[in-house]
Amino acid sequence: MKISVDYPRCEGHGLCADQAPDVFSLDDDAELTYRFEGTVVPDESRPAARAAVNACPVAALRVLT
Amino acid sequence: MPLRTDIPVYRPDLYSASAIRDTYPHYAALRELGPVVWLSKHKVYALPRYAECRQVLLDDDTFASSGGVGLNPVANRVGQGTTLFSDGEDHARRRSLLAHRLTPRALRTMKDTVDQQAAAVAEDAVARRTVDAVEVATALPMSVVPDLVGWPQQGREHLLRWAGATFDALGPLNCQAARTLPASLGMMRYARAVVRDRSALDGSMGHDLLLAADEGRIMPAECATMMIDYLAPSLDTTISAISSALYLFALHPEQWRLLKADPDLVPKAVNEVVRHQSPIRAFSRTATRDTELAGTAIPKGSRLLVLYGSANRDPLEWDDPDTFDIRRDAARQLGFGQGTHGCAGQGLARMETSAILRALVERVDRIETTGPPEWALNNVIHRLERLPLELIPA
Ligand code: HEM
Ligand code: SF4
Repeated sequence: MKISVDYPRCEGHGLCADQAPDVFSLDDDAELTYRFEGTVVPDESRPAARAAVNACPVAALRVLT
Repeated sequence: MPLRTDIPVYRPDLYSASAIRDTYPHYAALRELGPVVWLSKHKVYALPRYAECRQVLLDDDTFASSGGVGLNPVANRVGQGTTLFSDGEDHARRRSLLAHRLTPRALRTMKDTVDQQAAAVAEDAVARRTVDAVEVATALPMSVVPDLVGWPQQGREHLLRWAGATFDALGPLNCQAARTLPASLGMMRYARAVVRDRSALDGSMGHDLLLAADEGRIMPAECATMMIDYLAPSLDTTISAISSALYLFALHPEQWRLLKADPDLVPKAVNEVVRHQSPIRAFSRTATRDTELAGTAIPKGSRLLVLYGSANRDPLEWDDPDTFDIRRDAARQLGFGQGTHGCAGQGLARMETSAILRALVERVDRIETTGPPEWALNNVIHRLERLPLELIPA
């Protein structure tokens, strides 16, 4: 499972980080960090990552399978 | 291709006064009928279930907003030029002008003020003990939002009525909308005057718009519509969420005890309130091409009604959807919309609603209703008009 992040679209609402803290986090500046940029999300984090994609209110996250 | 006659039809008026006051049984009946239901009274395809609502919101190429998101041609024309009624490049440009002022990052500088004001509101309410939930819910948004948007002091007394009317006008052209149309035009006239007189407060979002127009980044005519873009949806919606929260916690004292025991549940509680009593009933989209939704043919030009409030109670998506439970994971609820047009003000709405709940949870042991709730008559906003409560101090 790969996820694409549309950074310009992200507004820092942080709902993704609530759902999948191992995958997404916001730094002190509310700037989004995606831990698996350019690689794949490990199996154990997939359900949470999927929930994060569904929770993003501005659809900045997409599952690329 | 299935014909329209194959599509289930719903004849009752979803916007009659009685349906507006008690909508959820209608939603249940619609969901039961199918994923796409023809509303014969309003001549639109209603989407009562979660999956199709979400699909339409996320596919803004096929399901456009620039034909308006209301249910009548007058409002869909009058609202042209707003962020809400635009697509593609126009939308991105308009949204980028202001949305950055409302991101959680930008709002951090406001957090202390909002918390202080919330504490003052809670303190006052607890001192009075018997209160109207709607009055309590109105105080914070009214003390925060007009300043942020930059609405001049003079003229604020009309804001709530105007903003409510602007939403009402997005429904079908029923007597409700006809009654409130003059007030929504009043808001437009006032906004134009604010732009003409350059009376938007210094440093506010309205002021940003005036500067953007000076620099030629937007048309001067867009300034007024864009100010309304941010004012109209910022008051009633949040008032709805806060007053519904008070009502839900009065009805479910065990949920209030959970929140008292663990105030870290506040953000989840806000999602659950907006899921359970979605402040915006529905907005529409127009199909830009012949397409298909859940096996139903949707001809180009059709209008579809995205029923946020119904999607958020869909048993295909939620366990026990009618149960209010703040421990539930409701982050994917659609009460703020989703995707390209996902609510630009949700950071602020979350901040205000959370601040009030935190301020009250410290000071209030129990919330009890002392009379029946009265629901407001509005085509688009679902909110209480009045709810007498007793706040029993901690
Ligand atoms: C609990 C409170 C609120 C709720 C439930 C709510 C709900 C919504 C919904 C459902 C939409 C989506 C419209 C669509 O799908 O076409 C929306 C859009 C919008 N909301 Fe909110 N809203 C709230 C508070 C606010 C506040 C406080 C502001 C401004 C300060 C605001 C500003 C906007 C704007 C500008 C849009 C249009 C975004 C766009 O078209 O890109 N809202 N809101
Ligand atoms: S939920 Fe979406 S908008 Fe919010 S921080 Fe995550 S990616 Fe950004």
